[in-house]
Amino acid sequence: MSGRLLGQDASVLAAAGADVQALGEIEEWARRAVVVPAGTEVVDAHVHLGVDRDGHKLAAADLIADMDANGIGRAVAFPADEPGSGGDFRDANRRVTDAAAEHPDRIIPFCRVDPAVGADVAMGEAHASGARGLKLHPVAQRFAPEADECVAVVRAATDLGWPVLFHAGFGARALGPAFAALLDCVPDARLILAHGGRGDHRALAAATAGHPDVLFDTSIAALPDLATLPPARVVFGSDRPYGDHAQALHLVGCAARVAGWDATALHGVLGGNLMRMLEGPAA
Amino acid sequence: MSGAASLRVVTLAAQAEMALVRRDAVAGPLLAQAARAADGTAAGPLLGQSAAMVRAEPDREAIRQAALSLCRMALQEAQAQALGSAP
Repeated sequence: MSGRLLGQDASVLAAAGADVQALGEIEEWARRAVVVPAGTEVVDAHVHLGVDRDGHKLAAADLIADMDANGIGRAVAFPADEPGSGGDFRDANRRVTDAAAEHPDRIIPFCRVDPAVGADVAMGEAHASGARGLKLHPVAQRFAPEADECVAVVRAATDLGWPVLFHAGFGARALGPAFAALLDCVPDARLILAHGGRGDHRALAAATAGHPDVLFDTSIAALPDLATLPPARVVFGSDRPYGDHAQALHLVGCAARVAGWDATALHGVLGGNLMRMLEGPAA
Repeated sequence: MSGAASLRVVTLAAQAEMALVRRDAVAGPLLAQAARAADGTAAGPLLGQSAAMVRAEPDREAIRQAALSLCRMALQEAQAQALGSAP
C-alpha cells in the first residue's frame, strides 16, 4: 500500500480508525474500472495546487505521489482559490509555474485570474513564466462568463494561444445562454467546461454543440451528463484536491460502459483530446 | 436490480454526497440508509464503508473526503446500473 489512499494520507485515515486495507482494495477496484488503451498517456485536465481559502490543499509533491499511484502521466494544474492580498493571484500563479518547472514532464501550468483585478499583468507574468492556459472561476470570483471583463480576458487568452478552463457547474446561474454569449464574442475561444457542466448540462451541451473547441471535463461530473456527450468532447479531470484520481477514473470507466466508448474514444477522453487542444485550434 | 431499486440508491447516494460536501451531520444517516438500500449491489460495500467511516469520525477532514470519494463511486455505480449497464 502506498502512503496515500483516495488522495489522503493513509496514516491519518488509519489513525481515525478507517479500514485502510479495505480502502486500498476499493481504490484498486476503482482504478481497474477503466481499461486504459495501450499507448495512452492519462492526462488530468483539472488540478488545483496550493491552499484554498475553504481549507482544501494540495502540494505538488502529494500530487505527483497521487499521479504515480494512479497511473496519471501529466496534469494541468492551476491555483486554488487563493487570490492573495492583492486579489490578482500573481503569487499563487508563480507557485504553480515554479512547481511545473520542478516537474516539467508531469505538470502543465495554467494561471488563474480575477477578470476584475489586474488580469492583464497577472496573465503577462504567467505567460512569461511558462503558463499554457487560463483557469477562470465565475462563482468564486463573482463574475458572469459573458461580462465584459471576462470576455476581455478570454479574448486575451485566446490571442496568446491559450485554452481557458471554466468552472461550469453547481451554481444557480443558467450557463447555456451565458457561454453562448461569450462564444458569440470570442468565437475562436478554446474552452474546457469543468464538471461536465453539472447543473446546466443540457443547455450547455446544446449551446456549444457547434463549437468543436469547447470540451467538457469529467471532474466531479454527473455520469448521465458524460454518457450523452460525444467522447471527442470529453476530457478526463479529477479536481484534486476536491476529488481524487480513483473516483475520477471510476467515473470514466462507468461512462465508457454506459455509452459504449471504444478504445479510440477512451484514448481521446483520457488524454488525447486534451493534448490536441493544448497543441492548437481544431483544423 | 429493478429500476425502482436503482433509483432509490441513486437518490440516497446523491443526497449523501451533497450532505458530505456541505459538512452536514445528516450525511451519516443518509449513508447508512443508502448502504442498506444498496445491499447486494456493487454500490453496497462502498456505501457501507463510507457510512462506517463517517459514523466513527464525523469531524475528521480526511475521513470526510475519503467517505465522499466512496459515496461518489457508489453513486456512479448506481447511476450506471440505472442507465442500463450492469458491470
